[in-house]
Amino acid sequence: MNSLDLAFQLNGRAVKVSMAPDTLLVDLLRDVLGLKGTKIGCREGECGACTVLLDGRPVNSCILPALKVQGRSVVTIEGLTRADGSLDPLQQAFIETGAVQCGFCTPGMILNAKALLTENPKPGEEEIRRALSGVLCRCTGYQKIVQAVQAAAGIAE
Amino acid sequence: MRNQDEGRKDVQLLTKEKFDFQQLLQSPSTDLAVAGQSVQRTDARLKVTGKLIYGADYGQQGFLHGKILRSPHPHALILAIRTEKAAALPGVAAVLTARDVPGRNGFGAIIPDQPVICGDKVRYVGDAVALVAAETEKIAQQALELIEVDYEILPAVLDPREALKEDAPQIHEKGNLLSYNKLRKGDLEAGWREAEVVLERTYRVPFLEHAYLEPDVTMAVPQADGTMVVEGPMQAPFTTRRNLAAVLGLPINQVRVRQVPMGGGFGGKEDSPIDIGCRAAVLARHTGRPVRLALEREEVTIQTCKRHPMIMTIKLGARRDGTLTAFAGVIYDEQGAYASLGPVIPPAGGSHIHSMIMMPGPYEIPHVSVDAYLCYTNHPYGGAMRGFGAPQVHIAHEQIMDELALELGLDPLEIRRKNAFKLGSATATGQVLDQSVGLRETLEACAREFDWAGRFRRTGYVDAEKTRRRGIGVGLGWYRTSIGTAGDGCGANVYVHEDGSALLFTGITEMGQGSYTVLPQICAEELGICLDQVRLVQPDTHMVPESGPTVGSRSTTLMGNAIIQAARQVKETILETASEMLLVPASRLEARAGRICDRENPERVLLFREAAARAMARGKRLIGQGWWTPPPATLDPETGQGNPYFVYTYSTHMAEVEVDVETGEVEVTDYVAAFDVGKAINPRAVEGQIEGGVAMGLGYALMEEVVLKNGVPQNLSLQNYLIPTILDVPRIKSIVLEMPNAHGPYGAKGIGEMPNIPATPAILNAIANACGGRVRSLPADPEKVYWAIKEAGGAPQE
Amino acid sequence: MATAFRELHWSGDIPVTAYHFPPSLPEALNVLERFPGKARILAGGTDVIPELRRRDSAAEVLVDISRLPGLNTITQAGDEIRLGAQVTHAQAAASPLIQEKAGLLAEGAAAVGSPQIRNVATVAGNLISARPAADASIPLLALRAAVVLVSKAGERIVPLTDFFQDVGKTVLDENREILTEIRFKGLGALQGGCYLRLSKRRALTLPMLVASAVVTIDPDKKCFADTSIALGPVAPVPYRARPAEVRLRGGALTLKAIREAAAAAVQECSPRDSLLRGSCDYRQEMVQVLVRRALQKAVERAGFSLE
Repeated sequence: MNSLDLAFQLNGRAVKVSMAPDTLLVDLLRDVLGLKGTKIGCREGECGACTVLLDGRPVNSCILPALKVQGRSVVTIEGLTRADGSLDPLQQAFIETGAVQCGFCTPGMILNAKALLTENPKPGEEEIRRALSGVLCRCTGYQKIVQAVQAAAGIAE
Repeated sequence: MRNQDEGRKDVQLLTKEKFDFQQLLQSPSTDLAVAGQSVQRTDARLKVTGKLIYGADYGQQGFLHGKILRSPHPHALILAIRTEKAAALPGVAAVLTARDVPGRNGFGAIIPDQPVICGDKVRYVGDAVALVAAETEKIAQQALELIEVDYEILPAVLDPREALKEDAPQIHEKGNLLSYNKLRKGDLEAGWREAEVVLERTYRVPFLEHAYLEPDVTMAVPQADGTMVVEGPMQAPFTTRRNLAAVLGLPINQVRVRQVPMGGGFGGKEDSPIDIGCRAAVLARHTGRPVRLALEREEVTIQTCKRHPMIMTIKLGARRDGTLTAFAGVIYDEQGAYASLGPVIPPAGGSHIHSMIMMPGPYEIPHVSVDAYLCYTNHPYGGAMRGFGAPQVHIAHEQIMDELALELGLDPLEIRRKNAFKLGSATATGQVLDQSVGLRETLEACAREFDWAGRFRRTGYVDAEKTRRRGIGVGLGWYRTSIGTAGDGCGANVYVHEDGSALLFTGITEMGQGSYTVLPQICAEELGICLDQVRLVQPDTHMVPESGPTVGSRSTTLMGNAIIQAARQVKETILETASEMLLVPASRLEARAGRICDRENPERVLLFREAAARAMARGKRLIGQGWWTPPPATLDPETGQGNPYFVYTYSTHMAEVEVDVETGEVEVTDYVAAFDVGKAINPRAVEGQIEGGVAMGLGYALMEEVVLKNGVPQNLSLQNYLIPTILDVPRIKSIVLEMPNAHGPYGAKGIGEMPNIPATPAILNAIANACGGRVRSLPADPEKVYWAIKEAGGAPQE
Repeated sequence: MATAFRELHWSGDIPVTAYHFPPSLPEALNVLERFPGKARILAGGTDVIPELRRRDSAAEVLVDISRLPGLNTITQAGDEIRLGAQVTHAQAAASPLIQEKAGLLAEGAAAVGSPQIRNVATVAGNLISARPAADASIPLLALRAAVVLVSKAGERIVPLTDFFQDVGKTVLDENREILTEIRFKGLGALQGGCYLRLSKRRALTLPMLVASAVVTIDPDKKCFADTSIALGPVAPVPYRARPAEVRLRGGALTLKAIREAAAAAVQECSPRDSLLRGSCDYRQEMVQVLVRRALQKAVERAGFSLE
């Protein structure tokens, strides 16, 4: 199989890789680029654990051919932490409200919430729930996740 | 039981005013510094930044990739297996069949009846027929396709009642009845005579998938000295080790099992790591190379254990005023192909006997019988899943309580108030509940918060078109702490170092529930240091003491007690040293937040680390070793009478639903759940358990089911095996009451499983209340609700 | 019967050997021609990639049309609305034009999968996948949409009623044609539409039943001038409930007329008994409920009320 070249922005930095044409974005991120924060729960775009932001919008990286990100910008959970190590308000809120249990859905939840708050800084509860409806969580019952997004948005309950 | 009198005194003090639950509402304890506080999870930062390394995240360089060839038949003899073509494929390192298993060709959490590789026959679709290890997953997969197997298909047993028929095909040599257990209390005939109303109903529940988000993965790494290291997410490192040793033919001290962070378990990762761990280890042993075996989501559904399906019949007798007089229950409990966690570990361990014990519910009933049959079938096997046999029977007893209330024209709360456990009640096993019984308090707290009385009057249609009808439902529940076996011990080691920092060694695993936060809280509390001074060591069977499995809602209570013992040993040494340094008797010293001071003269103070340094310099022992075993469990095998579990957690759930009476669609619109947890060591973590448990119980009620057709699972993926999304789960109000457990650390008892249990019947009862139709065979999906409404003659007019 | 090997043994990879990003439509058609029987057009890929992983597709060569120019817009030409083949469900759902002129399509597009899926999956792909209950296909069928299929021989315009052939199969010749555009007339005054779906949970799920209706009201006679009703899955392809449409033509704006039409809608419906998505009996009952509700809502949206 021939290798193909791919260049894109990953967490704000230019990346160039050479890869096989059957590579899916999630495998490129995890196995080639070493970013393990993007999780694999189902490999069919159903659980949302593999969510990344593509040009600011959430997508499931497990069913996205890697070549599709050519020339585009990808943000993974690792990209939310700032260069100085400080956390995004969403990450901080997830910690403080107890929205994390096993943590497997957490990156996907936070990235979907990030996309929401970027577009809509003061969402209502229903908007938050809709925005996160593509990520399954089996631990939390979602309540503290909603609260965390509200807290990050500065919305008092 | 130990401390019985002491415990009773406490409880009576708290219950002197009937149903005054206000004083039991959880509040931060003033005398505790770390325990009882909603501290942040110790692993949360790693999880929100994506830095926590889960099993699938480990480097794979140098690893072979393992794959399992699975049986396509639910029941068949293996006539021949041809592996030559597969073995000849470039990149294949091993193709193994039954004869290649070095030790015992069987594993199991209780009975080793599941072959590592099937030799003579297969017993379910997914059974392992051959194992392959290859340089890449792709090659391993290609090799699987090249293996040829000749089967002779046998008739399959796909119903637990069919399994018991005389002419049923035999799945295992000892027959299809894996276990029969019975409970007999009082004089049932007298109970029926006393009854003015007798109701009999049958309820059915399907197989459930845990649907933990993280698919299973294991890594087996052979060491030069002959030791086998097996790493992966797992709930029961010691059970896994025991099985690995037998399967590999190694002494236990040459098997090293390391638990890595887990993306959810819910009981499922008690079994599955044994399964894939043994298989990967056999491949690793054979090839002498590290082997990684990872399951795809669909393979998790096919291969790993499920929640037991059951067919449950209850005959219930009561007086007109709602007082229960007699209960006769029959359970056909479907074990599936292998024993897993179903059979009895004397006296009261294993899921089946637990179902039997819990079946009559948290009610005083003078005359009781339960007959419980655990049957092998050619379906996937039942294992542990959050509640371990209790969710199923709660679905039965909580529904028939409502059906009885309707029959008697009573409010569902009234009939429960009449019969619910209180201090001094005797359970169906004859156990007198002598302490920490907060069931009625949870009922009253929940009813007040939910405004049950008000809402009960306001059910009915919510729209002018009369398509949506609102209803409310209640579910009561009880759940044990501990597992009811004779050997339910828990060990902990605490090492304090010269800088005052501590290491905590336990074999309790973290699957999301928060043990790696709660256990260090207890350690810090006892030592009198800050939480950040305690580091927990990831369970590694070469390093941590035997702790049993992380199941049975036992971690906080049993391990908490062991940690307290271990920490106190060290603290005694530290305080003795401090006493010498401060010239104050040790009995007057108090350690808190890393400072040790004289209680009578708080000015006299030194730092914990100064005392630790001095003790170390003087060669004193700063290692504590704790061990805690619950009060002995008893249960007479003939009568089912005894004290099977030493303490219970209680709860009341109330749900409001809206049912579209034309389509059968159900929306859960409001939810309140109240718990008596003894003591919340981390209240926010307790809330997290409650909210998550309720969501899981909602899924059981409305949508979850592993659909099987001729023994073949039909919904392998998360697209078809539905669990609740964020749009399906309502806001949940949690109420935490604390009625101290005399045997628990700071009064704590278990909370992990309880929240999942009464949620399902509370929702089912609300549906029936809303639309008049009752779904007695789960899940209550739109179609089932629709037909239930039809069967009831249509939804009420007004 | 033995369960198929691939149902029991899964892997994460897709059997793809080549991936093409043709820069232009002619170039895309060239690539198709070069790999007869092996190439597969891919836009969002949310159906194609899982299919490849399940080994449900024999394709080895992916032809990604997401960089072809001019296919990512929603435009209006006269009273006709045109959706390019790259328009995603998220785009369609958020488009003010679609919301105003084809609200039922916006509703259907918003019901697909999840936000992540909708950001990638295209409406055209929803048609080509040809699932009998596809959330965008059903409202488009009710809107009497047509698709533009382009080949080297030129283009043909195929109404959706002629487009679907069987489960997963359309008249599109995958070896030489590409669907470039979806066209339909936007709803005008006196028209109303509605999309409804029945499912086991409230997000991330395939429907048990989808229904869409478009009504045109005759304001003078106060009757149904014209209706189109689409349903799925009640047949191997997205289904137009002609008996109900005929029944309603010229009918008075009454609940009774709607009920009769809903009853007629069931006549030729033959939903499968599905272990996962409901029995035939249940879905036939639900056809009546959903058709009735969709018609009621459509009339209301047309600005009329029922007697």
